[in-house]
Amino acid sequence: MAKKLGFLVNIERCIGCHACEISCKSFYQLEPNMRRRRVTELPENLVGTPVRAFVSTACNHCDEPACKKACPVGAYTKREDGIVVHDQNMCIGCQMCGKACPYGVPQYNPVKKKMDKCSMCYDRLDEGQLPICVEKCPLEAIQIVDYNEVQPSNAVSVVPTFADPSITHPTTHFILPKPGKQTRRF
Amino acid sequence: MLKESISRRTFIKGSVSLSALLGLGAAGTKATKGLIPKAAAKTNGKVEQFYNACPRNCYDTCSILTTVEDGRITFITGNEKNTYTKGRLCVKGNTYPRVVYSPDRIKYPMRQKGRGSGNWERISWDEAYTIIAKKILEIKKEYGSTLPICLNKYSGNFNILNYATEGMLSSIGYTTRAQGTPCDPAGSDAQGFDMGVAYNNDPEQFLDADYIILWGANPSWTSAHSMYFIEQAKEKGTKLVVIDPLITQTASKADEYIQVKASTDGALALGMIRYIIDNQLYDKVWVSQNSIGFKEFSSYVKKNITLEWAAEKTGVPKPVIERIAREYATAKPANIWIGFGMQRHVNGGAMVRAIDALAAITGNIGKKGGGVNYIGGETWGFNYHTMSFGAPEGSGGEKDRFVNMNNFGAQVLAANEPPIKMMWIACRNPLAQDPEPAVVKKAFDQMDLVVTADLYMNQTVEYSDIVLPVTTPFESAGINVSYWHYWMNVNEQAIKPLYETKSDLEIAMGLSKKLNQLELGSCTFPVSGDPLEWVEKELNDDIKELFGVKSWDDLRKNGGTAKANESITVAWQDLKFRTPSGKYEFYSKKAVEYGHHPLPVFTEEYKAPKEYPIRCMSPHWKFGIHSQFQHQDWLMAIQDHPFLEIHPDLAKKKSIKDGNMVKIINETGYMTLPAKITKMVPADTVVMYEGWWKGVNYTENFTVKALQEDMGEYQKGQRGIAFHDNFVNIEKA
Repeated sequence: MAKKLGFLVNIERCIGCHACEISCKSFYQLEPNMRRRRVTELPENLVGTPVRAFVSTACNHCDEPACKKACPVGAYTKREDGIVVHDQNMCIGCQMCGKACPYGVPQYNPVKKKMDKCSMCYDRLDEGQLPICVEKCPLEAIQIVDYNEVQPSNAVSVVPTFADPSITHPTTHFILPKPGKQTRRF
Repeated sequence: MLKESISRRTFIKGSVSLSALLGLGAAGTKATKGLIPKAAAKTNGKVEQFYNACPRNCYDTCSILTTVEDGRITFITGNEKNTYTKGRLCVKGNTYPRVVYSPDRIKYPMRQKGRGSGNWERISWDEAYTIIAKKILEIKKEYGSTLPICLNKYSGNFNILNYATEGMLSSIGYTTRAQGTPCDPAGSDAQGFDMGVAYNNDPEQFLDADYIILWGANPSWTSAHSMYFIEQAKEKGTKLVVIDPLITQTASKADEYIQVKASTDGALALGMIRYIIDNQLYDKVWVSQNSIGFKEFSSYVKKNITLEWAAEKTGVPKPVIERIAREYATAKPANIWIGFGMQRHVNGGAMVRAIDALAAITGNIGKKGGGVNYIGGETWGFNYHTMSFGAPEGSGGEKDRFVNMNNFGAQVLAANEPPIKMMWIACRNPLAQDPEPAVVKKAFDQMDLVVTADLYMNQTVEYSDIVLPVTTPFESAGINVSYWHYWMNVNEQAIKPLYETKSDLEIAMGLSKKLNQLELGSCTFPVSGDPLEWVEKELNDDIKELFGVKSWDDLRKNGGTAKANESITVAWQDLKFRTPSGKYEFYSKKAVEYGHHPLPVFTEEYKAPKEYPIRCMSPHWKFGIHSQFQHQDWLMAIQDHPFLEIHPDLAKKKSIKDGNMVKIINETGYMTLPAKITKMVPADTVVMYEGWWKGVNYTENFTVKALQEDMGEYQKGQRGIAFHDNFVNIEKA
């Protein structure tokens, strides 16, 4: 049976530090403003009591990738294991994929004049390694899951700031934080 | 389709469970053939890996693995052999390749024509050394000593070899020194009075705690590797309580968060103590065997402290104080981590003594997984060989003179007989980091020569006469230990120094050479030497035994990192305190000697002046350690400007909306920056995070007065700064 690999992002654990994003930028030696993974601040009333909460997202390796549909030169493929791969050699830099993606994932690299996005480090996965963001998160808050094998019952498919999953059926899922007890003066 | 719940616990099992889930076979995080696969796969050239040590002023002091391809760094990550670093770096550490190859690096020695003019010209190292050496000799001749020369160096790089700068200054004669620390002085004195010295348990022992109170500490931002252990403990069922005036990132992760009024934490601790004594929940055996002065302390508490008073003072309701006190007193072991921020108040030292007392009466000191953890220095027993040379014959003066680093500008201006005429600044950015930067600037104006050694054109460099470009950790050798964890990390030279950069050690040797050329015998510092020989000289038999290493080179060959013997990782396990009595001292004559009350009493907090009713706190920010890191473009791409956190109620009162520009002002200074409306701060407080933001010409210290903490002289020579007793007013700009 084919796999359906996707990120499982544990917001309960995430401290919003951006180490995932910067370790990715460092490992792939991206241009300073290129962000294959990004950490977004969530509304502070997310769990009822006010907290600082963040969500880390990259490419969502969608079941129905809009980038793939939009690409005029067929630079996008979806692998058997579900990873959406962008072939930069084929890319003509037209930026249609970036406009089509509800999550704004593909980014234009003005130096290479090509689009760029997260590959889930498929070459590392193929060698038995974890994606850099998964391996380097100081809190172990990002995981890769084969959603054909596992349907984590405590995971949700959408959080605020994350576009409607019914459009492209992203594989990314999230574990929401549990509210703690608070004694506040205000 | 298989239905399975991934519990919090399953989630973090790591590569084993991941492999199973993914069907990846041998999946894991281990490098193949000792190299990370990227390095092995993507180059035809020479690939090498080196061990480095993050030398910044940080709890985590990580062991680093650096990949170099054809002489260029291609990846920097954590060393997996260090069980605290765990193969991962914080966000700041992940920017290190950019720190090295940043277009903003200072590349050559330069001289500025007109301080602050920006009119820099490139000069050679020889010219730089000549200008500096001539000025030193001229000063010595004019004043009969080198005391008009002032060194301000601190924590930008804690590589043990960087003490060469102090050594170099000592080698020209007696000089004036910026003494003390803006970091931990009041709390360190408090722990000094109570126990002899500040000494913390190994943070990996958070896993052994039954109950954790993070008291004014925000490790999510300041010690991400500790936060991992705390999260692991939480998953095992340990309760995490965070006490803080702000809903920090760490408070957001707590099982229970308690919002205390700033600078009243001591009252909360004393209220808890009152409840614990009244309810016979204290450890009578521990107290009678291991302490002195409990009777006096107990009678102070019974006479002066009530739960009602503590509730009124702290803003924490009485039932909450009672419940937390009971929970803490009955958990075994219970662990307290006191953050440095908590003591940056005029009563900070007294508050730390009260919290120490809470840990002592419950018998939590000397226990694995317990402790009242603040800071420690047990692993710092190096030779400090770079500082061993001493003043040359006939250099004048009798001893070094000290000015308080925490009131640097004013004390430099006040120094006379002789006045201060030259400054050497290294590993510091006083114009950004000191209180009252305008006064510091005035002190600079009095100088004949200001020399700054730095990586980047920060505020202090911009106001210097000569800048000396220094190396990053990856371009020079060294060794580091932490004031928090128990590891020692080798720092290898991974690449050749870029441009014309030099380490502080090389600069010391170079300047000594020039001084001796101009006047033989005017500097005792060696004029040449191999950094690897220097670093080997730092290790003595005690430190080798403590870490089980034969030499620096032996450690380099064997993983680059070593943990100290377990025997020292539980603070005060032998219950032999380093106080005059050898016991835990609730009653401290040493405290009296330094002008304080002998007991851990509550001393009043600093009251807001009428015209400036809003407290402005300036805690550490997640993308920076003091003025380092945040200015890098990798981080500016995420957040490119400072901001002021304001509670919605206060914002409403002042008609300020999210994103509006806000003027923040008091008698010391003012600045204008965008508002971020958030409930993370209380309505009587605003927050501006610490840092140097590229292109921003103000710092959080513009409104900070050089207001002293209550303690610091005993352990650090000088009192610290009450950074968080900064009161301001705000208005929509």
